[in-house]
Amino acid sequence: MAAAPEPGEPEERKSVKLLGFLDVENTPCARHSILYGSLGSAVAGFGHFLFTSRIRRSCDVGVGGFILVTLGCWFHCRYNYAKQRIQERIAREEIKKKILYEGTHLDPERKHNGSSSN
Amino acid sequence: MAHAAQVGLQDATSPIMEELIIFHDHALMIIFLICFLVLYALFLTLTTKLTNTSISDAQEMETVWTILPAIILVLIALPSLRILYMTDEVNDPSFTIKSIGHQWYWTYEYTDYGGLIFNSYMLPPLFLEPGDLRLLDVDNRVVLPVEAPVRMMITSQDVLHSWAVPTLGLKTDAIPGRLNQTTFTATRPGVYYGQCSEICGANHSFMPIVLELIPLKIFEMGPVFTL
Repeated sequence: MAAAPEPGEPEERKSVKLLGFLDVENTPCARHSILYGSLGSAVAGFGHFLFTSRIRRSCDVGVGGFILVTLGCWFHCRYNYAKQRIQERIAREEIKKKILYEGTHLDPERKHNGSSSN
Repeated sequence: MAHAAQVGLQDATSPIMEELIIFHDHALMIIFLICFLVLYALFLTLTTKLTNTSISDAQEMETVWTILPAIILVLIALPSLRILYMTDEVNDPSFTIKSIGHQWYWTYEYTDYGGLIFNSYMLPPLFLEPGDLRLLDVDNRVVLPVEAPVRMMITSQDVLHSWAVPTLGLKTDAIPGRLNQTTFTATRPGVYYGQCSEICGANHSFMPIVLELIPLKIFEMGPVFTL
């Protein structure tokens, strides 16, 4: 998607597109969700077959399990990813502010130390 | 800019575009799962030995295939509406530029500081220097500061045009007699390309947009005003 990576930047992984459009390598959380979905599908389908010996119905359960487990993992991972991004943004802003205001009267640490000594 | 045969979105240069990429990934995962389900249903249909042609009642299945698509649409609509309202947030722009579409070039007005007005024509192939991009580079770029909210006022002098820069997640129609507004905050410096996105005549494909985003400190020194 991007130009060639600059020195020091992590290289973009070769894209693996499921069904021709879902790039699981370069989409955050996609590979993780698909893998867990496949595992869930195999466990659900095989488990159902062990209990019932019905092949077709077990395949249906496997497909249903794949969809549900993939969706569940996807939402869980994306929620954590969003939280992480917000934390990264807050940290970046705070570092910028610290660099700008350190040693000045606007330094929040100075204000905090001043109020705690009073 | 996009590389050859690129199908996916370009890397984001603004927070809105980052959100759009995240939403795109989310929608694509849902689409993938629906496609997977449909392919499986197709496989079952093609491989079944059942030949019952007198099925007339399937209440449970009809309930499921009514409720489930509604749930899926809600799952897609909620993040979509969130981004839609995010793009309309008022963020106190520090800089305003007017962009006027013509057949077939753009005019930019920097009226905040003096009255700088210039045209931006595509560089004809004969005038390209080594390293220039064919059909994308222009004679005068739009120079803007990074990490400062910028307001673009977009209009047209003749027919419909559209001012689009994919990496910033921007596309705004230029309509004669109407002033449209879009705002953005670029997060990294660089040169970013876009193309007119509304059919406007013979040379519609030959009126690109080039933004040159530079650090605010350098922008304030005034390089853009020394044309």
